[in-house]
Amino acid sequence: MSHQLSRRRLLQLATASVAGLGLTACGDNGSGSAGGDGDSGRITVWSWTTAAEGLRSVVPSFERDNPGIEVDVQDVGNPAIWDKITVGLASGGKGLADVLHIGVDYLPGYLDKFPDGIADLSRLGADKYEDAFAKGLWPTVMGKDKAAHALPWEVNPLGLFYRHDHFEKAGVDPAGIGDWNDMIAAGSKILDAAGVRLLGLDKTGATQDMDFFQNLMQLQDVFYFDQDGKITLASPAAVKALTIIKRLNDAGLIADTAGQGTEKRLLSQGKLATYAEAAWAVEYLASTFPEQKGKWRSMQPPAAVPGGKRNAIVNSTYLAVSGSSTRRKAAWQFIEYALTKPAPINRMFASGGVFPALKAAYDDPRFSAPHPFYGGQKVLKPFVESLSADAPATNFTGDYARALKFASDAQSQVLLKGADPADALKKAAEQLAQQTGRQQAV
Amino acid sequence: MSLAPSEHAPATATAAGRGTTDRTGRTRPGRRRLLTRTSVPYLLIMPAVLGFAIFKAYPIVASLWISLTTGNGAGRHFTGLDNYQRLLNDPLFWTALKNTALILVVQVPLMLGLALLIALGLNSTKVWLRPLWRLGVFVPSLTGLVAAGVMFSVILNRDAGLLNWVLSLFGIDRVNWLGSPFWARVGVVLVITWHYTGYNAVIYLAGLQGIPQELYEAAKVDGAGPIRRFVSITLPQLRPILLLTVVLSTIGTLQLFDEPYVLTGGGPDNATLTVTMYLYNNGFKYFDFGYASALAYALALIVAVLGFLQVRLMGERK
Repeated sequence: MSHQLSRRRLLQLATASVAGLGLTACGDNGSGSAGGDGDSGRITVWSWTTAAEGLRSVVPSFERDNPGIEVDVQDVGNPAIWDKITVGLASGGKGLADVLHIGVDYLPGYLDKFPDGIADLSRLGADKYEDAFAKGLWPTVMGKDKAAHALPWEVNPLGLFYRHDHFEKAGVDPAGIGDWNDMIAAGSKILDAAGVRLLGLDKTGATQDMDFFQNLMQLQDVFYFDQDGKITLASPAAVKALTIIKRLNDAGLIADTAGQGTEKRLLSQGKLATYAEAAWAVEYLASTFPEQKGKWRSMQPPAAVPGGKRNAIVNSTYLAVSGSSTRRKAAWQFIEYALTKPAPINRMFASGGVFPALKAAYDDPRFSAPHPFYGGQKVLKPFVESLSADAPATNFTGDYARALKFASDAQSQVLLKGADPADALKKAAEQLAQQTGRQQAV
Repeated sequence: MSLAPSEHAPATATAAGRGTTDRTGRTRPGRRRLLTRTSVPYLLIMPAVLGFAIFKAYPIVASLWISLTTGNGAGRHFTGLDNYQRLLNDPLFWTALKNTALILVVQVPLMLGLALLIALGLNSTKVWLRPLWRLGVFVPSLTGLVAAGVMFSVILNRDAGLLNWVLSLFGIDRVNWLGSPFWARVGVVLVITWHYTGYNAVIYLAGLQGIPQELYEAAKVDGAGPIRRFVSITLPQLRPILLLTVVLSTIGTLQLFDEPYVLTGGGPDNATLTVTMYLYNNGFKYFDFGYASALAYALALIVAVLGFLQVRLMGERK
């Protein structure tokens, strides 16, 4: 609209091009990353908010046990960290920290698009930890080179938090709810009796938070892609998942959480009867709405189909070493220290709320302790138990961000324009295929 | 002091024969070669040229190359016009282009018309406290784009927003500003208009103040009314400035990014997805720099064609 804007745009385009240029330059050098295996000195770690706090809490003991290594944990912020890592990787690893905290939604993309950007940890001894972590996580850390490139830190098994008081008022027994058919029936009763909607969803898709849809697919062992990387966004299970959302919406059970802070406001006003979220929400609810103490409980998530499974991993996060790090051994030592021993990882759980992926951590009494916020329920126990059930690895692939976009569009079409779930997903899957060159699974 | 070259000056200095001589009679050979009448202007523009070469020309050329390649990380390979072909078959690109065009056709005339009216008001000698109003009109364009976006996302919030509260005072139902495709577009238009109208009004004001008063006086003597004077004097006199603002606003709208990015994320269902947003998504969310560069070039082409047409249509008629 003005000089200012047009200059700003040009600058951004220029930035994009420069970033791309890094790629070209990287291509010219062949391998690109010119890192080194230094095992001492100062290493930097990029993470965000509470997780960064958690990591900081293990630094003093690590530095004491590993003289010669200094650790600087930086809270880069989320989502800023993704742009920062992406730009760093795109410019051949320049300016990246030694240790990177990466979510499951980005890790496969980085491994796919920047094969040398993230260091090979198998070479440094990571393979011996393959069975140490919750099921379904290890395939995510494997690159195309069949080597491990990260260690799992956080895992978020799916749960369902519900307002005990609203359920009671409507005469709904949570034990009688086995699948989402039951839940929809219960939701209508709760709406009538307590006047609150069952759950909140961002109908506009502005935040592209598709966890609920994804979870309904994962409960049927399906995701956007199958294990061969073929598109399953229009599969019967995906249609089933979106149909459940449509039925919830048609019954008036979904509150629109579009807009900043809307969901939090609805929760604080007690206007949502359930909160279909993962383990991290245990402490989130307790610390954000302390005045609602005693009103919440948690249960296993209902199955998507009658008799279906009732456990899923919503997401997970990892620590990796950047390929361009000159102190890869020191960085690996820190990751190994922080993530493979119960004591430090539970210390991080306590200070940062990061639910550990390390199986040995669950022996700690805190995982079976009654929680006062949940009326004395042993709230963490079902989450831990659900992790021991079989969870096939979710194949995020390098094209997850695109899949997320098209799925979110399809959901918005269904919720805002009354589109048919099967039609909307068929269109989404076709566009995804067109943009990624991937085939659709038959 | 002798007039001969000092012993410090090298022999070649005098041999060149064009050495400057200062008051003490000493020649200064170093400066003589660097600072000539032809070289000084070049030296003066050097920083700008260097900046342009590094931050503009190089990326422009490099992204042309990138737009002809595909792949990632270490493996980037030439694919000719594949990315451009993909672009033509990409429904989202066309959606983004359509949205951008729609905002352009509705918003630019609206904003410039409004800006012209405001400028006419500010230019009137009958208005009190003119500097204050001028400042007030201009202040929005000093606000950061993201800050404005965040502010409006709060104002336009359906349940707790200021605007819906004001509407409710008049008995008007809540509008789902950012949640419905139509109103989300209206919301984006609203934010851009709020942000840039003052900027354009100030440009118009400068133009209005440059119109000689004699023209108006002569027209009055000839019996022309205010509308006649506006159409026959003000508009023709403003033509170059109108052209400038139309071209700048068109380019700006075609590159629209911050406001929809902050307000709607391009939603709902891509109703406010712009070409630049789609470009950003492809580069920084999907890591597809080749395709993003192709998008950038497609956009540049569109901007160039539109700009050319506007200059041809609105430019000075000889």
